[in-house]
Amino acid sequence: MDFEPKMPPMEADQENGVEAFDLVVIGGGPAGLTAAIYAGRARVPTCVLVGTLPGGQPANTAGVDNFPGFPDGIGGTDLAQRFHSQAERFGARIVPEAVIEVDFTERPFTARSSKGQYEAQAVIVATGAAPRRLGIPGEDQFYGRGVSSCATCDGFFYRDKQVVVIGGGDSAVDEAIFLTRFAEKVTIIHRRDELRATKIYQEKAFANPKIDFVWDSVAEEILGNQTVTGVRVRNVKTDRAQMIKTDGVFIYVGMEPQSDLFRGQLELDRQGYVVSDRHQRTNVPGVFVAGDVQDPYYRQVVIAAGTGAIAAMEAERYLGEYP
Amino acid sequence: MPLLNEQVKEQVKQQLDGLASPVRLVMFTQEFECQYCAETRQLVQEVASLSDQLEAEIYDFVADEQLAEEYGIDKIPAIAVVGEQDHGIRFYGIPSGYEFTSLLEAIQAVARNKPELNDATQAYLAELNQAVHMQVFVTPTCPYCPQSVVLAHQMALASPLVRADMVEAQEFPYLATKYQVMGVPRTVINETTHVEGAAPESMLLGKLQEAMASEEE
Repeated sequence: MDFEPKMPPMEADQENGVEAFDLVVIGGGPAGLTAAIYAGRARVPTCVLVGTLPGGQPANTAGVDNFPGFPDGIGGTDLAQRFHSQAERFGARIVPEAVIEVDFTERPFTARSSKGQYEAQAVIVATGAAPRRLGIPGEDQFYGRGVSSCATCDGFFYRDKQVVVIGGGDSAVDEAIFLTRFAEKVTIIHRRDELRATKIYQEKAFANPKIDFVWDSVAEEILGNQTVTGVRVRNVKTDRAQMIKTDGVFIYVGMEPQSDLFRGQLELDRQGYVVSDRHQRTNVPGVFVAGDVQDPYYRQVVIAAGTGAIAAMEAERYLGEYP
Repeated sequence: MPLLNEQVKEQVKQQLDGLASPVRLVMFTQEFECQYCAETRQLVQEVASLSDQLEAEIYDFVADEQLAEEYGIDKIPAIAVVGEQDHGIRFYGIPSGYEFTSLLEAIQAVARNKPELNDATQAYLAELNQAVHMQVFVTPTCPYCPQSVVLAHQMALASPLVRADMVEAQEFPYLATKYQVMGVPRTVINETTHVEGAAPESMLLGKLQEAMASEEE
């Protein structure tokens, strides 16, 4: 068991009032917290509104093996905690609240949470991405009763059971490997005949005797009574359907940018990613963007952190020019 | 060996600095300590040592049976976070990993003794006329779980009729089985109604109203 206590964010002092900062960062993942580290060191009064998943996607990941500086890899939660501590060390106020409304039409910009309102002369949007849903029958019905998208949260409940993982990217394959710690058998269902995941994950998965594969197949329905009992899949090449018996379905079919909050205020592309230039500027001067909410291609911790640093440096420059 | 390293201790000290009123961490273990009883006891003692306003009270589930009954404690390891009154805020299983957040939040909430809930929730809780028991199932590696635990504890703080437990599913597998927990967080209200995932306050309130309505039928 993981005994390492995780420190919570500090509470804000305000009570239903308005707090003003030079910079408000929306999102507490690698991008937002790196931005806070840079802004803090530049002595820009900064507040981070971390949202519903403190630490961002790494907090939901068993391990991160490709973040430089950790030759033996590092636990996802541990890495998230380190980002957090480092941001706090340089003075950022980190608040455990989720933003429910923003107004970027004029300065000061405002962000409202269920508990209070925040004003800022500059904003960095770093709300990240959330797991995409399949949108098939049974998915919502059995959510929490066999359907999951958090292996670190729920893996324990599948000790000596059979699970399927849907997807073929890094997350799917990495979490499938993680689930073999608990489950007796893990079946990866993928719509193509080869994995998209990084080679090193593929090698590990192919070498793992507990993992098998159903290729060229898409899930069409999740079946069950009280809990999940199976998944119906269809082979896209032969058009043949088959039933796979399973106790759990873990869905890793990609991510969706968390940008609904900004619709109508920031320019989004057709997939919903926030549009930015190479200086992480959005179409609204003073509003910058970083991390997975603007990145349909790479979605890596190191790149999210990198864009967070750029956004903070640009925000600092902007605040210097337009204080 | 201490469970909290120096850095975490320093952070906890800062966070618990200036607690408005005294808080007791009433912990139940037993002579032959259960799997995580020893660690839970140690965690309680270490946390309590970090603030003048905090006190750890360690009891034996068997020898102090009557006291356990008074606190409504039916399994161990258990922690009751108690202020001037007992608000019914409980932790069953070790509040480690992400749940350490929930423990610190509970201590601060009890010391403040002022619920941080929406007006609608407070209004509903003020009108409650039946007992409510919320059990929030968690695992220590679940980053979404503390939101649900903190919310349930806030409701307990707001109403004398509500008691709210964090239940660490791995330590109480028979309860996980009984309530068909296959994913966390899962909040069970009065045995019958349940909420999957980290439900926002308005959604939990809706489920609570649903649970109460079904009992009146």
